[in-house]
This record gives sequence, C-alpha cells and structure tokens, in this order.
Amino acid sequence: MADSKDVGAVSVTRDEVRRLCEFLYRRTGMSFDDSKRYYIDRRLTERIQATASASFQSYFALLRSDSQHEIEHLVNAFTVNETYFYREEHQLQCMTSHLLDDLMLRKPTGETLRIWSVPCSTGEEPYSIAMWLMENWKDVDSYNIEIVGSDIDTRALKAAAEGIYGERALMRLPRDIVDRYFTRLDDEHVQIDPGLRDSIQFTRANLVDAAEIALQRDFDIVFCRNVLIYFDDASRRMAAENLYDSLRPGGYICLGHSETMSRISPLFQVCRYPEAIVYQKPEQTK
Amino acid sequence: MPFVKHQGSGQDGRGASGDTVAVHVAGLTNPDANARWGAARMLGGVVGAVPALSRALEKETEGRVREAILTALIRTGDEASVRALLPSVRSQDASRRAAAIEALQVLPDAIAPFLTALLADGDSDVRLLATELTRNMPAERATDILCNLLEREMHPNVCAAAVEVLAEVGTEDAKPVLAACAERFRDSPFLLFAITTTMARISGAEGS
Repeated sequence: MADSKDVGAVSVTRDEVRRLCEFLYRRTGMSFDDSKRYYIDRRLTERIQATASASFQSYFALLRSDSQHEIEHLVNAFTVNETYFYREEHQLQCMTSHLLDDLMLRKPTGETLRIWSVPCSTGEEPYSIAMWLMENWKDVDSYNIEIVGSDIDTRALKAAAEGIYGERALMRLPRDIVDRYFTRLDDEHVQIDPGLRDSIQFTRANLVDAAEIALQRDFDIVFCRNVLIYFDDASRRMAAENLYDSLRPGGYICLGHSETMSRISPLFQVCRYPEAIVYQKPEQTK
Repeated sequence: MPFVKHQGSGQDGRGASGDTVAVHVAGLTNPDANARWGAARMLGGVVGAVPALSRALEKETEGRVREAILTALIRTGDEASVRALLPSVRSQDASRRAAAIEALQVLPDAIAPFLTALLADGDSDVRLLATELTRNMPAERATDILCNLLEREMHPNVCAAAVEVLAEVGTEDAKPVLAACAERFRDSPFLLFAITTTMARISGAEGS
C-alpha cells in the first residue's frame, strides 16, 4: 500500500496525486512539488466529493473531458480567489530585495520605473505595490515610478479607482500602514489615500488581445498572477507573447506562486531568488 | 510621493490598425528578428497567411520568432496550419520537433485526419511523437487510436510511448490490447513494467 490518504469516503494515492499534478502542469502551467501533498490532497478530495465521483479514476476522467468546466473548478480550488493587500508578500519582498537593484543598475538616467499589475481586479495589487515601495525601498524617492493597473472588467477598474475597501482586504496589513494610507469612511469601509489613488493609472486590457496590449509597453516589472492558469493553450501562448512585448529588455514577470512560465513559453529566462521564482525577458534580443 | 501622476489613458497609439496582411507577410522575411517577430504576431488567425508562415517556419533560426510563428499557426488552426507544422515533426533539431508536437497537440480536431498516416509512418521517431497527439483527445477516441497502433506496432519504444499516453487517457477497452502487447514484448522488462503500471491505472488500482 503506497501512502494512501483517506479524506471522508474518498482516498487518493501518491501516484494519483502525481498524475493529477502532471495533468495540471500540462494543461494549466500550475506546478506543485511534494511538499504541497497535503494541500493538494485536501483540494482534490473536496473536488472528488463535490462532483460525486466514485473514485479518483472517475474524477480524472471527468477532469480530462472538462465536460462540467471541472478544470476551472479545480484551479479555483487551488487558487485563493480572494484579493487583499500584500497578498503573496514574498514577491513584493523579492522585488525590493533583488529585482529593483538589478533593474536600476541597467536603467538609463532619468528613465521612469514602470510597473504593471495585470489583472489588477479591484486595485489591491497595484496599491500594494505602491505602499510596499514607499515602505520598503530605500531608493523610492530617487526615481520616477509609474504604476499601471489593468483588467478586462471595467466594473473592477471603477472600484479600483475609487479605492474603497472592506476590513478583510486589510487583513495582512500592519496597523500603522492602514493608519497612514487609508481613511476610515464608516465602521466597515476605508478608502485609500487620494495621493496613491492619483498615482495609479487604471486601464482596460485583455491579455490575449495583441492590439490592446500593444498600448501597454516599456514595463520593467509585470505582476501577472493567477490568470494564465485559466487560459487554454493557444490563449496562454498569445498572452505570454503579449507580456513579452510589454516588457523592456531585462524586465521581469511575477506569476502566482503555483504558476510556471516554463510550461507556457520558452521566451523568458527563469530567475530563482530566495523569496520567489520570477521570469525575465532576455536583455539582448536580436 | 515619487509616483508619476497619471494623465488620461496613457495610450501611446502603437498598434496594428491599418497594417495590411501583405505588409506583415513581407515582414516575415525581414533581416531584423524583431520585425519578423512582430510580423508573425500579426498573422495569427489569418488564413491566407498560412503558406507564408509555413515557409517562414522552415527557414526561421531565431527561437522566439519560431514560437510566434507556431502561435500564429495555432490561432489559425485549420488543416493548412497542420500541414505547415508537420514537416517540423521530422526535424533533426529536437527542440523544433518538440515545439511542433506541442503546437499540434493544441489542435486535436485539425490533426485527426493526419493521425493515421503519422502513426503508420516509416520513421519510428515520427510514430513515437505522434502518440503524444492523442493526449488531448477524448478518452475513447484516444484509446481507440492507440490500441490500433499497439496491435501492429513492432518497435518497443513506440509501444512504450503509446502505453505512457494510455496511462493517462486509457479506458478499460485498452486492457486486452495491452495484455497482448505485454505478451508480444515479454522479453522487454521495461515495457512489461510500463504496461503493468498502465493497466493498474486504468483499473484504478495502482498504488493502493
């Protein structure tokens, strides 16, 4: 018997988990190592139960056929769909500990640092980037910084520009940062500082539309988290090429923690840092 | 604050509007790789551009431009696109072969009319790679195709590749064919192991 985990009425074996991981990697670009076994088991067994599948075998057949959009449901189960400030803080740490030092060494004097958050949903990510830079980057006052937030959903963009949030969105923020950057509107809502609101440019963008993305150029860092995993193969390739074009040579892409660009496209170089794995557009392009 | 205040849309006006297919087709032979990359990116989904993309794919030496050409052909995704991709499956360059197979995998319907010929190709490497093209097909269809292959295939590596795909996509219908294959290759421990594992997976009994 090979390490079978029983959750409720359904059990999954190590080999079945490996099969699922191989499938997910191939179909979505999501990558999990053995250290995530418990995390995967939990979500997999939840989906097996939710689909009333009698076994892993029948669930896997359902997943492969994608007849009930099960791939999307499974990806949702593996992804925290809630957005909040300082989410995946390790990537912000990576930005200020490594990426900016590297970028600034090469950046011509006077050139603006450009950072893109796509999709930005209701704005938590681009505002987080701005606050993180203000709080954690010693050179923040030495450069002009431009932050753009883009999303396909114009309602989300409107909410992002308004910058009004509930308490849950603040759960990862230290209290002093909340006090400095937010104004309380009522018992349940706060609004982000008007100076920060004016500093983020929000624009509509569809990642698979080359013409739309052609309007977004010359970024040094792109945060593109937990969206490529929802695309089909052709769309993922198009999105990767669009992102490539949006970056300056040597610019970086930060994906979600379980995502990997390596499966999607060979256009980028893998950069491993203690805090995160990020992907870099080669500096020299013929 | 160090942040640049945003003004208006920030759009820089660059884009593809007004450009013609002919200009982009001509761009595929531009000596500048960036121009070829840009041209290929604009020709995705353009049916009339497939012959030019096909010629460009054959000659292109820059990896990222090849990627853009492959994506353009995938976006068109018709029979002509498949025909354009197929020669790369025979390339001596492993990265070209792998990239072509990945591109063809995205087009399971368009590749279907070509599969029989690919799986009967005189080159065992082509047959081996072609087994991967069934991976994204519905389980019953993929099982049927791979079982037909296994019933007559004599090359152990091609059989092993088919068995490996069946481990993911195979249905119960594959088990008699797998058993017969195991009997035929009883002197090949590796293949016997692969078949045993695949049969167990199909039965839902592996690892437990």
